[in-house]
Amino acid sequence: MITQDHAAQKPTTAQAITGTPHHAAGLTDWQAICVIFGLWRRQAMRLFVGALLALAALACGLALMQASGLRLAGCVLGELVVTTALLRWVGVGRVTLRYAERLFAHDAMFRALADLRVWFFHSLAHGAAAGLGFRRAGDMLSRLVSDIGTLDGLYLRIVVPLVCAGLTFPALLVIIGRQSLALGLCVGLLFACAAFLVPWLIARSGQKAADQAAHLLAHLRISVLDLVGGLREIRAFGAEGRMLARVQAADAALLQGQMALARRAAFANALAFLFGQMAIFLVLLAVGGVMLPKLHALEGVSILFLSVAAFESAVTLTRAGLQAGIMGASASRVVEMAVQPAAAHAQTAQKDAPEDTHIRLDNVHFRWAEDRAWVLKGLTLDIPAGSRVAILGPSGVGKSSLAALLLRAATPQTGQILLGGEDITTLRADSVRTKMAWLSQATHLFDDTIRANLLLGRPDATEDELWKALDEAAVSEVVRNLPEGLDTWLGEGGIRLSGGQGRRIALARTLLAPAPILILDEPATGLDAQTEQEFLRTLNAVTEGRTVILIAHRLTGVEKLDRIWRLSDGLAKAAAA
Amino acid sequence: MKNEKAAIRSWTRLQSRLGRHAARSVVGSGLLSSLAGIGQAWCVAVVLGHALVAWRVGGQESIFPAWPFLVFPALAIVRALCMIKADMAAAQAGIIARRRLRGEVMTSILAGGPALLRRTHSGALASIVVDRIEALDGFFGRWVPASVLWIVAPLAILVPVGIAQPRAALILGICGIVVPFGQAVFGIGAAVASRNQFLAMTRLQSRFLDRIKGIATIVLAGRTEDETRRLGAAAEELRLRTMKVLRVAFLSSASIDCAMVAAFILLAVLDGRQALAMQANGQLEGLQPMVVASLFALLAVPEFFAPLRGLALAYQDRAHAQGAATAILDLPDVIERPVLEGARTVNANGVMVAFDDVGFTWDPARGPALEHVSFTVPAGETLVMAGASGAGKSTIMELLLGFITPQTGRVLFNGAPLESIVPDALSRVVSWIGQKPVLFAGSLRDNILFAKPDANEAELANALRSAAVDEFLPSLPDGLDTQIGEGGFGLSGGQAQRIAIARAYLKNAPVLLLDEPTAHLDPATEKSVFESLQRLAVGRTVILATHSAAAHMFKGRRIDLQNGRIVSRQGAA
Repeated sequence: MITQDHAAQKPTTAQAITGTPHHAAGLTDWQAICVIFGLWRRQAMRLFVGALLALAALACGLALMQASGLRLAGCVLGELVVTTALLRWVGVGRVTLRYAERLFAHDAMFRALADLRVWFFHSLAHGAAAGLGFRRAGDMLSRLVSDIGTLDGLYLRIVVPLVCAGLTFPALLVIIGRQSLALGLCVGLLFACAAFLVPWLIARSGQKAADQAAHLLAHLRISVLDLVGGLREIRAFGAEGRMLARVQAADAALLQGQMALARRAAFANALAFLFGQMAIFLVLLAVGGVMLPKLHALEGVSILFLSVAAFESAVTLTRAGLQAGIMGASASRVVEMAVQPAAAHAQTAQKDAPEDTHIRLDNVHFRWAEDRAWVLKGLTLDIPAGSRVAILGPSGVGKSSLAALLLRAATPQTGQILLGGEDITTLRADSVRTKMAWLSQATHLFDDTIRANLLLGRPDATEDELWKALDEAAVSEVVRNLPEGLDTWLGEGGIRLSGGQGRRIALARTLLAPAPILILDEPATGLDAQTEQEFLRTLNAVTEGRTVILIAHRLTGVEKLDRIWRLSDGLAKAAAA
Repeated sequence: MKNEKAAIRSWTRLQSRLGRHAARSVVGSGLLSSLAGIGQAWCVAVVLGHALVAWRVGGQESIFPAWPFLVFPALAIVRALCMIKADMAAAQAGIIARRRLRGEVMTSILAGGPALLRRTHSGALASIVVDRIEALDGFFGRWVPASVLWIVAPLAILVPVGIAQPRAALILGICGIVVPFGQAVFGIGAAVASRNQFLAMTRLQSRFLDRIKGIATIVLAGRTEDETRRLGAAAEELRLRTMKVLRVAFLSSASIDCAMVAAFILLAVLDGRQALAMQANGQLEGLQPMVVASLFALLAVPEFFAPLRGLALAYQDRAHAQGAATAILDLPDVIERPVLEGARTVNANGVMVAFDDVGFTWDPARGPALEHVSFTVPAGETLVMAGASGAGKSTIMELLLGFITPQTGRVLFNGAPLESIVPDALSRVVSWIGQKPVLFAGSLRDNILFAKPDANEAELANALRSAAVDEFLPSLPDGLDTQIGEGGFGLSGGQAQRIAIARAYLKNAPVLLLDEPTAHLDPATEKSVFESLQRLAVGRTVILATHSAAAHMFKGRRIDLQNGRIVSRQGAA
C-alpha cells in the first residue's frame, strides 16, 4: 500500500538521487533507497497513516489562514461568509492533527530505523566470519549510527512533505484557476518551482558534496578512534600534538564541506522564498486589476491568504532536496556494506553436518586474495574423529588459514575439505560451526561480564559448568578472587584483566562449547612455563573423546598426541608423535 | 547530583555566552527580515483594504495607490538577502563552536591518557568527540540566536501593530506571553528525557562497536541470532527513549500552535464584528483605515509567531547541549602539570631507573597491584622482570611510562622523582614496546615514521634493517606503502612487533621498556625478535617484562614478581 504511495512520489526524488553512480559496488543510490523502502514494508501501515495525518494537518492549516481572512473580509462586505464555529473547528483540528501527525510519523519512523539497524548487523554477520579485515570497525560504527539515523529524514523530511506538496499543487490550481485561469496557472507554476524544481536542482547539484560530507564524517570518526585506541602509543612516543593535528585536519575538512553545503542550502532557500513572493505579488496585481484580470475583492483576500500558507509549507522541501543527496549517500553506504559480503559468500549449501567428525583435507590450495601469496599449496591431512593432533610451524605459515578453512570462514581455491566424508562446501556453515569450537589469536572478549562472555560458548551452561570450564582453563582462582566473581565486568577487550588471564577466559569459553572438535590456536599463551605444563596436562584429561587440533609454535612434551604435522611452505610434513 | 546539575547548567550558560558573539549577525539578519515581513504585510493590507472598501462602496473603478506594488517586491529581495545572510552566519557559528569544543575535548582525552580507557569504552569516547559535538551544531547555529530573537523580534513587531491597531497588539501580546510558560513546563521534561536518550544512544554505539570488533567470534560461536536480538532490544530502547523526548518536545510546539490559532480567531472575530458595527452605524469613511489595520494585524500573526516557533524547534538543540555537557564534564580536566622550578629534563646520555618502595592499587576491592617494590637499574644495564600474568609487571610499566603515579613510594629517573620531570622530557627518553603494537590507519611507512616524522630516508632504512622489517617487506603488495587496516590486518604478530621495534630504533631513546614483546610469537620468531631487541638494547637502560625462557639471552639483573611483590632477585637488582 505504502509502496505504491511511494512509487507515485518517486520520480522527483528518483531523478534527484540517482545522479552519478559513484560506488564501485554498482549499486546506485536510488537502488539503495529502494532496498531501504523494501525493508520498511513491515511498518508500511504506520508510515501510511503518518502521511495521511500530515495531509489532514496541512489541510487544516491552509483552511485556518484562508477562513480567518475570509471572515474579516466578509464582514467588510456585510456578509458572514465564515461562521465562528467553523473557524473554531478548523483551529482545533489544526493544533491536534499537527501534534498527532508528528508523534505518529516519528514513532513509525523510529520503528523502521530499529528494523534497519538489526537488518544491518544481521547481514553483516553473514559475511563476516573471517573478521572485519580491511573494513574498519570505526567506519562501520559510523555507518550504523549516523547513516541509519540520517535515513529518518527519508520519510519525515522527503516522503511526507512531498506527498503534501503533491496534493497542494492541484488544489491550488483548481481553487485559483476557478476564479482566474491565468492567475491559477502562474501561481501553480511558481508553486511547482518552489516545491519541486528548486529541491530537485539542489539535490542534483548537492549530490557530490553530500556524499563527500558523509565520507568526511566517517574519516573524522576513524581518526578519532585511532587516537583514542592508540593513547598508549601516543603517550609513549610523545605524539599528542601530531595526532591532535591529524584529527583537527579531518575536522577542518568536515566543517569546510558542511559550510559549502550550508551555502548552497541558503541560496536555494532564498530562491524558493522568492518564488513564493512572486506568487503573492501576482495575486496582489490581480486584486488591483493590474496586468491580470481583476479579481472579486473577497476572492482576492481568500486566494492571497491561501497562497501565503501554501508557499510556507513548500519552502520546507528545499531542505528535503538538500538532504536527498545526503540520504542517498547514507542509504547506499548502508546497503552496499550489508549486501556485498553476503553476495560474495552466497552458498547453496543446505545439508546439515554429519554426525561423523572425521576431517580430511585433500590437496588444498588457498590464498586470502588474488594479490596475496599462496598460503597453502596442496595441503593434505587426515584427522580421524576423537584423535588429538598438533600442527606446528612459525607465524604466518598458514595455521590460522587452516582453521579459517575448517570453519568455513574461507573457501579453498582448489582441493576439498571433507567432514565425515561430505565436502564442507555442501554443508550449512552454521551447522559446521556447531561441530567446531575455535580459540583463535583474535578471539574477542566482549565488553560485558565474565559470565556473559562464557555463556557465548554455551548459553544454557549451569553455574557449575561455568566454574568447571574456568578450572580447566586454569583461571578459576583468578575469577574467584575477584570481588564480583563471575559478574565482574571485563571492560573493552577484557582490559580489566591481564592479557594472559583474558586469554584463559576465552579458552574457558571454547572448552565450554559443546562441539566435538576443538581447534586451539596457542591455548597456552600468557602462562609461565610451569603453569603451561599443568594446563596442558589438564587439557589432556578434559578433552577426552573430542577431536583436538592443537595449533602451536612448539610442543612442551607433556601433550598426549596421536599425530604431529609440521607446516612449512604450504605443505604439511608428518613429525614423530 | 545537585552539583552535577549546577555544573551542567553553568556549562550550558558558558557555552551560550561564548556562542552569542558569533550569533549576533544571525540575530541582526533575522530581526531585519521580520521587520521587512511586517512592511510587506502592510503593503498587502493596503491593497486588499482598498479593494474591499472600493467594492463595498460602489464597485466603481478606483485608483489603487502605486507604492505598495513597488515596496512589496523590494522588501521581498531584502528579506531573501537577510535569509541568506542569517543561514550562512548560523552555519558559521555552529562551525566555530564545534571546532573549539572538539579541540578542547581532544586535549582533555589526551591529557587523561591511557588511564581513561580503563573506565570508558573507546567507542564512548569517540562518540563524544564526533556525535555529541556534531549534535551541538543546532545549539550554536539555532538555539543561541533563537533565544535572543524570540524576545526581540515579537516585541519589534508589536510596535507597528500597536500603532495600527492597539487592540490587535494586546491580543498578540497576551497570546505571545502564554508561550514561554508552555516552553518552561514542557522544556524541563524534555531536558530530563533527552539526557536519558543520550545514554541509550551511547550504549547502543558502544555495544555495536564491541560486537562488530568481535563479529567473527559471534558468528563462529553460532550466536548471531542471539546478538541480533539483543541489538534489536537496544535499538527498541533507543526508540522508546527518543519518543519520550519527542512527546514532550512536540507539546511545547503544540502550545505555540494553540496560541497562534487563538490569535487568528480572536482577531478575525473581533475585527469582523467591529467592521459590521461600523457599517450599521454608517461610518463608511472610517472603514478603510480600520480594514487595512485589521488585515495588517492578521497578516502579522505568522510573522509574530515565527521566532517563537523557531525557539520551540531549537529547544531540542538545547537539550542536546545538556546531554553533551554531562559527557564532556565527565572527562578529566586538563591539569597543567605543575611545571615548577623543580621541574627538570633528563640527561639523554644514560639514565638510571629506580623504584623506591612503590605501591599501587587499581581497585581497592581487588587488593594492591604492587606492594613495596624497590629495584635499581643503572644506566645501560638490563633488568628482566619475570612473573605470571597479573603479577604486576604491566603496572610497573605503566608507572615507568608515567601513565599512572605511584600511591606510595617513588619512581626515580637519574635520582629525580618522575612527577618532577617535564612530561615532554620523559616521553623523549623512554621507548616502549608492548604485546601488540597499535597500528594506525595508513601506510606502513606512516606507521613507522610515527616515532619520528622528520626522519630522513637513511634513518628509516637503518631502522628497517635493524628491526628486520626489510625481510618481510617484499612479501607485501605495496612494500612500505601497503595500507594497514585497523588492528593491523595483513601483518602477522611477529611482523607487527618488528614495526614496533623499528619505531623504537627511530626514536632512539636511552630507556627501553619491553612489556612481554614476544608473548604471541612462535619460538623461531621470538628468537629473531629477541635478537633484534638485543641489538636495540645496546647502550640503553632496558626493563624487560617476560616469562619467556628465551629471555635468558638478555644478560643482567632479574626480579621475580608474585602478586605485586618481588619474591626473588638475581644480580644486583
